Amino acid sequence: MSDVAGTVSALLAPPLESTNDENGLIRAAQRGDQAAFESLVREYDRSVLRLAVNLLHSPDEARDVYQEAFLKVYRNLGSFRFDCSFHTWLYRIVTNVCLDHLRRRKVRKEESTVVETPDGPVDQASRVVEESSFGNPERRAWNRELSAGITAALETLTPRERTVFELRHYEGLRLRAIGEILGTTEEAAKNCLFRATQKMRASLETFV
Amino acid sequence: MNCTEVVENFPLYTYGELSAELEESVESHLASCAGCQAAFARHRAFLDALDHRPDANEGALLAECRMDFRRAIATDGARRSAGWLESLRHLSQFHIPLRIPVGAMALVALGFFGARYTPEKFGGIRAGLTEPMFSNVQSIQPDSSGKIQLTVDEVQRRVVTGGLDEPRIQRLLLEAVREESNPGVRVESIGVLKNSADSEPVRRALTDAVTRDPNAGVRLKALEGLIPYAGDPAVRKTLAGVLLKDDNAGVRMKAIDVLEAHHDDSIVGVLQSVVSREDDGYIRGRARDMLQTMKASVGTY
Repeated sequence: MSDVAGTVSALLAPPLESTNDENGLIRAAQRGDQAAFESLVREYDRSVLRLAVNLLHSPDEARDVYQEAFLKVYRNLGSFRFDCSFHTWLYRIVTNVCLDHLRRRKVRKEESTVVETPDGPVDQASRVVEESSFGNPERRAWNRELSAGITAALETLTPRERTVFELRHYEGLRLRAIGEILGTTEEAAKNCLFRATQKMRASLETFV
Repeated sequence: MNCTEVVENFPLYTYGELSAELEESVESHLASCAGCQAAFARHRAFLDALDHRPDANEGALLAECRMDFRRAIATDGARRSAGWLESLRHLSQFHIPLRIPVGAMALVALGFFGARYTPEKFGGIRAGLTEPMFSNVQSIQPDSSGKIQLTVDEVQRRVVTGGLDEPRIQRLLLEAVREESNPGVRVESIGVLKNSADSEPVRRALTDAVTRDPNAGVRLKALEGLIPYAGDPAVRKTLAGVLLKDDNAGVRMKAIDVLEAHHDDSIVGVLQSVVSREDDGYIRGRARDMLQTMKASVGTY
């Protein structure tokens, strides 16, 4: 899994040729260069949206997070002082917006998106690419149940645990980076991850 | 380290987050404790199970978000321009000096508040252009003669015709391979480009599509385009990655087909991983058969 996490992390790393290229873009955007700002957004917006979709499990909310987060970036880019990486600064904004949405959702006690069907539990919010016809039907049904189980398990986590787990396991970020993004220590992120993993293991016991 | 401590450290160990010293302690313990080996196998199975989460599939949503965001910025810019008397900082972004007449500011407001504009209001801009699909005013600069220069981004549709050997056609096709909102366009462009995969940019585009495109049909098409180059170690490495990580069984099956035709000892480890982790029985069987043909062990130690 660390190989996959490393690969995911490499895919998420800024694909610009060098940090200098990115700093140049940021400075140009701070001077009002809209093309530079748009280039900067394009470097990160896919991974930001993917994070929002995976955390919130709602394309509509993910769309809201995208708009809110990048508008905050647009309005506050002038205050970015290069005292951390742009990736950290951006993800700090994005995770805070996502956490706000998750906390509001907890207060409103929103319904789970997982529903029971004659074919087993199905996650209505997912946009799963249909398996090719090469898998057998029992395996497909099991995969569907497992997908729904994972979604339900993630919903048992607190917003912070869910964010840490998502960033560590699925996005491949290091705990130190996660601590910086969430404005906490690496040790606190580690403890949060530990609690999240324990809860996920307990929830998915029947599948393992 | 006792068993309880070792098991508690499994999550951090598998994420590579332990110090070198602790990592070594865990590994030493695992080497000699059957109980912890079994517990670790269960933890690995748990991590593998987490890979079955539905794909975010954010491609089409991304295109919508980008369009919405461009409109949001335009509206945000309009709101700032409307408040220019209160904030000199907003004015400086759009190079509008304080003496600009009210009539010109009305033009600024009209320009910003519309995602589309009526070309007649900005005489001369329309000449020679087709109807713009979407437009956005980026900046406004008045000059001393009373005229105003606007920088406008427009999206237009036009038809471009040419041969595959023409650089502009190749450039457009390479862009089309990355067209997030339309997998049909991506598949068609790959279908055309794969006949030119001896070109480095094309091969790079096919490799990117095989590993990153969110649509399984597009990935399959790109994989087909790499078949003639499966003898290349870099391409085989890409195919090995697809076999291990792609979430679509059809794509993985194609990858193993291609690897079988061009195999060498470098893929033994990959095939052993497939035998131990692959969900699909047919693919597992193929991997096992290949290992036996190569006279390699089916299991790992």
